[in-house]
Amino acid sequence: MSDQLAAIDDALETGAADHHDPLTRELQELALALQADAPEPDAGFERELRGRVERGFPKPASSRRPLWRRMMTPAFATGLVVLPLVLIVVVAGGGGQSDDGGGGGGGGGGSVAAESGGHDSGATAGAGRGAAPPAVEARQQALARAGAQPELESGGGSAGRLVLPPDDGFAPGQRNRKIERSIGLELEMPVDEMAQVAEQVTTVTNRHGGFVLSSSVSTGEDGAGGDFQLRIPATELRPALRDLAALADVRTQTQTGRDVTRQHVTAKDRLQAARAERRSLLRRLELATTDEEAEAIRRRLDIVAGEINGLRSQLRSLRLRTDYAVVTVTLLRKDGDQGGAVGGSFDDALGDAGDLLVGVAGLIVRALAVALPLGLIALLGWLAGRVVRRRQRESALA
Amino acid sequence: MDTTPARSYDVTEALVESVPLVASADSEGFAELYERAFPRVYAYVASLLRDRAAAEDVTSQAFERAYRKRRSYRPARGSIDAWLFRIARNAALDELRKRKRRAVLEVDPEDTVSRTPEDHAELAVRRETVRAALASLDGQERDLIALKFAGGLSNAEIARVLGMSESNAGTRMHRTITKLREACHE
Repeated sequence: MSDQLAAIDDALETGAADHHDPLTRELQELALALQADAPEPDAGFERELRGRVERGFPKPASSRRPLWRRMMTPAFATGLVVLPLVLIVVVAGGGGQSDDGGGGGGGGGGSVAAESGGHDSGATAGAGRGAAPPAVEARQQALARAGAQPELESGGGSAGRLVLPPDDGFAPGQRNRKIERSIGLELEMPVDEMAQVAEQVTTVTNRHGGFVLSSSVSTGEDGAGGDFQLRIPATELRPALRDLAALADVRTQTQTGRDVTRQHVTAKDRLQAARAERRSLLRRLELATTDEEAEAIRRRLDIVAGEINGLRSQLRSLRLRTDYAVVTVTLLRKDGDQGGAVGGSFDDALGDAGDLLVGVAGLIVRALAVALPLGLIALLGWLAGRVVRRRQRESALA
Repeated sequence: MDTTPARSYDVTEALVESVPLVASADSEGFAELYERAFPRVYAYVASLLRDRAAAEDVTSQAFERAYRKRRSYRPARGSIDAWLFRIARNAALDELRKRKRRAVLEVDPEDTVSRTPEDHAELAVRRETVRAALASLDGQERDLIALKFAGGLSNAEIARVLGMSESNAGTRMHRTITKLREACHE
């Protein structure tokens, strides 16, 4: 077979069928006949096409496709589909991270001016005792400028938002209710501000007529923090809480209230009754005619006196609990604050760089998760289209 | 010991020869390709379409497509002729499909060479025989014959155009031309 094909090629090249084998020579002659019968082009057409080749196949202006059709290459069309999806994934991924960051930064939401001053502790370290540090003053001024009308909200913690107890207690419409209140306040600040804030807690408490029941402050690098048990007059509770909240960023605030009006009224009524009984016993004692009768009245008077003392003590305790709110202030170190210089250490920088790389890698993985399947589908579609086009073309020869 | 490396001039010449005419992708190189390949491309297209007007349109279209895509040609993927004939074949098949016509070899080429009456009669008979034999071939076999004898391609180039191996192209070529010879004897 290969010899005959080679002989045919020789014949086509030389133009002669001269093989010694008759069969092969016959194939050579057939090949020459086919070659000789090949159609020849018209001379005019050849000249015209040559002219077009020399001019570089200029296109008439009217036949030029519009710009958008020329731009609509397969790659561009694929990009039009894939790019928005990738952007959606990237934005969604970035949004998710932003939400996380927002949660972390929420603690600082209530102190806009505090951030710039928060790291200014070096300049405020020498501030005099009792004087509010610049950061604290800034917070107070910011709150004052904003009108600082904190949102009223009862119960539950709310990070970064000051919640004050309502003026009218827990039973709206009732006057002279006896409400026992307790407030929990978590303040966070850089370690280097903690000592000053602790001083300010005491100052604010005193300024509003309250007192510090107990306090514990630690300013070391490890385990820095503080706890204060305060008693603040109920009438001064709102302004006192506002001032306390201005000392640092409020991370959480909790509030509980218990209506003890019934206990108060009951104790008061029982006290009045006991006093009336004592007065009655005293009158009966004056009128007693026998020693036995007088002795029995005295014993009864002793019992009533003890009862009056107990009720007085109970009323005093109730009054103390309702007139003074229990405020628990907890000082916390701000998240991510290492107490070092502004800008952090080299380890911090490495950590941040690692986090950044992980974030970027996550975004890339998300983008690839969308782009790769789409690209694969597009590739398969393109290959399938090629096969179909090829078969359609070949079908013309069937 | 002589360590001077010997220079191979053969290799240099081979490299020079392998550089295609339009490797530089300029109009001048393409004009050379046109001068060399135009008659064969036209003959191949006309053989497939069996219509001179359509063959001229498709040939013109094929060269224009090749000119616009000339930068996409890669020498590693085959000769420039195979590349050009593949474009021409696609254009011709598109035209055939568009016109819903079956591919039949053109069988009435013009005689451009004067011959003696005896030669003329003998040639006419031989052509008529070959024409009848060609009619017995299917479309793909006629395509193969057109690529070989009208287009003047080698078996390797035909394999490139048709997307098959060279040995397969050779086998099919041998089978087809043998079939054509047998048809000439019927």
